[in-house]
Amino acid sequence: MNTDTLSLNLGPQHPSTHGVLRVVLELDGETVIDARPDIGFLHRGIEKLAEHRTYHQIIVLTDRLDYLAALSNNLAYVLTVEKLMDLEVPRRARYVRAALAELQRIASHLFWLGTHAHDLGAMTPLFYALREREALMDIFENLSGSRLTPSFLRVGGLAADIDERFVESVRNFTDTFQGRVDEYETLLTQNPIWRSRTKGVGVLDAGQCIRLGISGPMLRSAGVPLDLRKTQPYSCYDEFHFEIPTGKAGDVYDRYLVRIREMRESARIARQAVDGLPEGPWTAAGSPPVFPAKEDLKHNITAVIRHFGLVMEGMKPPPGEVYHAVESPRGELGFYLVSDGGPYPVRLKVRPPSFVNLQGLVKMVRGRLLADVVAVIGAVDIVLAEVDR
Amino acid sequence: MTTTDILWGVLRIVLIFSAVMGLVAYMTLMERRFLGFFQLRLGPNRVGPGGLLQPIADGIKLLFKEDMTVSHANRFWFRLAPAIALVSVLACFAVVPASPSIVVADIPVAVLYLLALSSLGVYGILLAGWSSNNKYSLLGGLRAAAQLISYEIPLALSIVGVLILAGSMSLVGIVKAQEGLWFVVKQPLGFLLFLVCVSAETNRTPFDLLECENELVAGYQTEYSSMKFGLFYMAEYAHILLASCLVSLFFLGGWNGPLLPAPLWLLGKVFFVFALFIWVRATFPRVRYDQLMGFSWKVLLPLAFVNLMVTAALTVALS
Amino acid sequence: MSKALLKGLALTLKTFFRPPVTLEYPDEKRPVPDRFRGRPALVARADGAPRCVACGLCEKICPSLCITVVAETGPEGTRSLARYRLDLNRCSFCGLCVEACPVEAIVMSGEYELASGSREPLVLDEGRLLAAPDRPGEERP
Repeated sequence: MNTDTLSLNLGPQHPSTHGVLRVVLELDGETVIDARPDIGFLHRGIEKLAEHRTYHQIIVLTDRLDYLAALSNNLAYVLTVEKLMDLEVPRRARYVRAALAELQRIASHLFWLGTHAHDLGAMTPLFYALREREALMDIFENLSGSRLTPSFLRVGGLAADIDERFVESVRNFTDTFQGRVDEYETLLTQNPIWRSRTKGVGVLDAGQCIRLGISGPMLRSAGVPLDLRKTQPYSCYDEFHFEIPTGKAGDVYDRYLVRIREMRESARIARQAVDGLPEGPWTAAGSPPVFPAKEDLKHNITAVIRHFGLVMEGMKPPPGEVYHAVESPRGELGFYLVSDGGPYPVRLKVRPPSFVNLQGLVKMVRGRLLADVVAVIGAVDIVLAEVDR
Repeated sequence: MTTTDILWGVLRIVLIFSAVMGLVAYMTLMERRFLGFFQLRLGPNRVGPGGLLQPIADGIKLLFKEDMTVSHANRFWFRLAPAIALVSVLACFAVVPASPSIVVADIPVAVLYLLALSSLGVYGILLAGWSSNNKYSLLGGLRAAAQLISYEIPLALSIVGVLILAGSMSLVGIVKAQEGLWFVVKQPLGFLLFLVCVSAETNRTPFDLLECENELVAGYQTEYSSMKFGLFYMAEYAHILLASCLVSLFFLGGWNGPLLPAPLWLLGKVFFVFALFIWVRATFPRVRYDQLMGFSWKVLLPLAFVNLMVTAALTVALS
Repeated sequence: MSKALLKGLALTLKTFFRPPVTLEYPDEKRPVPDRFRGRPALVARADGAPRCVACGLCEKICPSLCITVVAETGPEGTRSLARYRLDLNRCSFCGLCVEACPVEAIVMSGEYELASGSREPLVLDEGRLLAAPDRPGEERP
């Protein structure tokens, strides 16, 4: 009998493509013969926009890259500019940054967990995970005024000092969080249906991961303990005690386990950061890119002049090129910045982990079933805003 | 047959029909509210006191939605499919007794009638998937054909044990045989098998592969809107109601129980079984299509045979 | 294996009897935190006029280019605000304008229910920006 394959458009409007990913599948029955991801539906030209924004304004743009981990993006960007300007940031600011980055990692992983489980038909973990994510969002909101797009980090430090409730709310959160993770694990880790849906699905071994440039939990699930927080510590990460969870099989199940354990580790780091929070300034006051305090503007004319200069002309980093990467919840998030000494960057290139990790998709789904495609896309943990930029 | 007989017959049909439709409407509400409680939220509670008017609001909303038919759909089957799905389920209720006297037709081969009619419902789904001119619908329809047919067999086998014990194929007869002891005690394995099979037959999580939104958008319902979608929705919940009734009748003693009137006992058991379905839906992920088929043929079917053999052997040995 | 299934069922059953964590939104509202970044609002002086000195820093720093400041020169040669326009259709609520303002004349208010059926009501002039109903700007640092 002569049979044809069926080409099926998975996305850009589809419940499980996590935004506007389009995957053109060639199906034989329900078996995937070939897959072709088609991206760009969420392209907003952020890299190009950045060429016409001052270094200060770009912070706001970085929020919109990976909107599930806005603070990680803030962090990666300000660290890059600070590296370019060779700026020393006070320890207090670095501790707060680390705490925020880890809380953001938890928030991002929670959202991943909920949606991934929902993709595989388990509705309830979504609501349990969002309960904890809401607590984190409240922490961000109290601190910065915004839940999803905090824009809280500044070149040279933070936008404001932490408020009095921050330390306490982080402590409250980390006190209960491990028990909450136990709850998610109760619903999924040992569940035979969950295991049968995820074990052995979407396998990428360490070699394949490295060849594709895949980073983050996907790489670690294949057994490579590469984590920029350990290998190139930034923001005082070398002062915290934490482990890098790794998997063995490099399948969807191991990615799940790695992320679950990462959440536990992140809670530990955030706790260490707020417990050991040093006193002192929260921003490198007086250094060129930092705005003078509002109080100074009232009677100090040099401060006023400096303030006007900073807003009108922006900070002007020295000419040069710099790359800096952080371990975002999705992997290596890097910013490559070229400056000619002017107020705007000549080029800002983002190395988005989602985009690179997505390259493994075709390899992972070929020969699998349609239902596995959904599981694999979920386990890559893409944010299309970051893929398309 | 006298005029009174006919009138009494019509009255019973109207009674059962309206009871079924009313229950179906409120089952949707119950499911949504219960799911809410399982998931730390409230569920719909804004229309009427405690959300009690929500099903009516939903119905009105569906009626006023634009009724669309996609281009290149096979219009005839596209329109007929929802009707087939609903009618085949509703017809099943003709033999479902709410008490020894409240039943439209207490026929001696009720179980066969049920199995035959409920498998007819697959045609509605299959035709909907095929006539929609949509690849997702088609995949949903194909899954329906494969899934429902393969679960039909262990389903039927799992009740044979009950039939042997009751010595009757009439539902009234089966319930009467449970007056002393419910069959769930004598047929624990059959009970579990039947539960699993009916949740697959009624597309409940973890077996809701026909319309699982995360893979097939909405499966065979993708292109349906307005009241055509409403009919599928009603058919689905009527099917669940039927399944809950059958579980209660076959295994939980039907209307048998002290003090309360018979229909109330049955209603209570039906809601208990339905709550069980919701509970399972709130807890488990969905199985994969190939695992689902494997589970039916490699696990359920042999178990159903074992159950049947053991029941038969024990019955012969004890008699 | 089935033990894990039962454990899951036990957990959801336990949750069934826990109070919900959701808020019945239009009836109940979350308290707005002090630092909340809602609709930007202009701060009024004691005489009711905007405190804004029309320096234009907010216009300059706004990454979404949503602010237009028009200054006028009074009879004594003093610079003052003629027109202030903020387009909420473009605003990204980042709060950089507040950071840039040297005289603390603009704040982020606690107002967040801003949905509108058309675009025009979302383009605010100085009169509408001054009115921040729930939280007068003067209280904000």
